[in-house]
Amino acid sequence: MSGKVTRLVLTVDGQKYEVVARPDATLAAVLREDIGLTGTKVMCEGGECGSCTVLIDGNPVLSCLTLAVECQGRYIETIEGLADPISGELHPLQKEFVERSGMQCGICTPGMLMTAKALLAENPDPSEDDVRQALAGNLCRCGNYKRITECVLAAAKTMRGGER
Amino acid sequence: MGCSQHIDATSVTEAISILQSQGDKAVLVAGGTDLVGMLNNRLISPETLVNIKTIPGMDYIREYSGGLRIGALTRIRDIETSAIIREYFPVLAEAAVSVGSPQIRRMGTLGGNFCQEVRCWYYRRSPATGKTFTCYRKGGNVCYATSGDNRYHSVIGGKKCFAACPSDMAVALASLHAHATLAGASGTRSVPVEDFFIPLGNILKPGEMLTEVSIPALKPGSRQKFLKFRHRKTIDFALCSVASVLEVEAGVVADASLVLGGVAPFPYRAKAAEQVLKGQPLTEDLASEAGAAALRAARPLSLNAYKVTIGRVLVKRAILGVDM
Ligand SMILES: Cc1cc2nc3c(=O)[nH]c(=O)nc-3n(C[C@@H](O)[C@@H](O)[C@H](O)COP(=O)(O)OP(=O)(O)OC[C@H]3O[C@@H](n4cnc5c(N)ncnc54)[C@H](O)[C@@H]3O)c2cc1C
Ligand code: FES
Ligand code: FES
Repeated sequence: MSGKVTRLVLTVDGQKYEVVARPDATLAAVLREDIGLTGTKVMCEGGECGSCTVLIDGNPVLSCLTLAVECQGRYIETIEGLADPISGELHPLQKEFVERSGMQCGICTPGMLMTAKALLAENPDPSEDDVRQALAGNLCRCGNYKRITECVLAAAKTMRGGER
Repeated sequence: MGCSQHIDATSVTEAISILQSQGDKAVLVAGGTDLVGMLNNRLISPETLVNIKTIPGMDYIREYSGGLRIGALTRIRDIETSAIIREYFPVLAEAAVSVGSPQIRRMGTLGGNFCQEVRCWYYRRSPATGKTFTCYRKGGNVCYATSGDNRYHSVIGGKKCFAACPSDMAVALASLHAHATLAGASGTRSVPVEDFFIPLGNILKPGEMLTEVSIPALKPGSRQKFLKFRHRKTIDFALCSVASVLEVEAGVVADASLVLGGVAPFPYRAKAAEQVLKGQPLTEDLASEAGAAALRAARPLSLNAYKVTIGRVLVKRAILGVDM
């Protein structure tokens, strides 16, 4: 592939990375191929599956349809930053996914977790329907939706301090 | 060749002047939900990407004398959640919530929704698969859908290209008699939303862009409904959709606006159905009659006559205000 490259500085999970990329490179490609953070998954490259969802300034965004150059100066969060960076302790969402079998093959899981994280930041006490609506753009080809919804509701409860 | 630069435009004038000086080598990037997919599939290979999200003051929903002005950079999600739109233009809020997925609605803009490319699978076939269909839209002289698999194509108004207009927002906005404002080097012009679309694309001239959509004031109390039939409820384009705006006085239809999506290369105004309704007492039979009239002009291709059946029922239900 031809075309000019530019130097970009991206802040991912609190860390700065300097990469050299083409102006039409997607954030998904830069995260995975240039930075080496392969936790973010790419299934369709077309916006249909949500597996590449990351948070940009807290917003769930499809990294396969986002140009990397447009993410400079923004706060990018990926699955790699979800667990506690120092202790390594898993996020309540991750714990529930482990304990309640929230994943089967696991390909959709990073996108599910990031989308769910954004939901719980906006709405700490979601109904089952709220969770299903929020995750409507995340395809699980294993069809594990019911358990995924249960995991998010359980994590929400833990994060609220266990009440209800 | 190849993509060589990305420019953060800071004004409409700047974006237009780049488009003018670079011709089809430059493309505008709004939310990127359609455009970046086209790039990923190597369907386009622009030299310059012009980011218009950096243009200030184009993301707004503003009231003016009973009507509404919506900036081209307004996100679909902001339209879906706007209190004014939910209250006074529910047909538009219902269309917005039906677009793509939550992520697509947070990223995608109104301008991009209007200017997105069609979803015809011949046109969209990625050359990376080793096969390309050089159809009318790509400068060829055939529409592969006419003799191929045309189950998702137009049943009305196809001319050369039979791909259906994919924009849900345009269908709702046409039913509200909205106008699109287009800006070019020589100033701006305003066109009715349904006239923005033409069988091979839209009426934007080289060097023009969409800046705003404006909705005129509506009489209070109009009955509005948007219904969309699709394979997957969570995320899918319309196989057929209907936006209906009715003024009903003492049980009689005083005015009617009916626009269909997914059936034509543009939002299709069902004038015959509007005529059937006007001045008549609103009954279930009248709604059925309007449904039949709405699709009377349809000339289905080999595999898409089902759209006619669905369209009739959707029109009837939208008029009666019932859900799917
Ligand atoms: C999985 C998926 C599902 C979808 N489902 C739906 C659906 O159900 N209904 C629906 O209506 N749409 C759907 N879409 C299309 C979706 O891309 C649009 O809804 C979205 O609003 C496009 O906006 P954008 O800002 O991302 O456009 P972009 O991708 O940034 O731009 C699209 C095109 O418009 C041009 N453009 C952008 N802004 C302007 C402007 N102001 N003036 C002139 N040209 C401009 C760009 O150059 C480009 O050619 C779907 C898309 C995907 C990927
Ligand atoms: S890989 Fe981005 S939505 Fe499927
Ligand atoms: S667990 Fe396999 S795709 Fe969801």
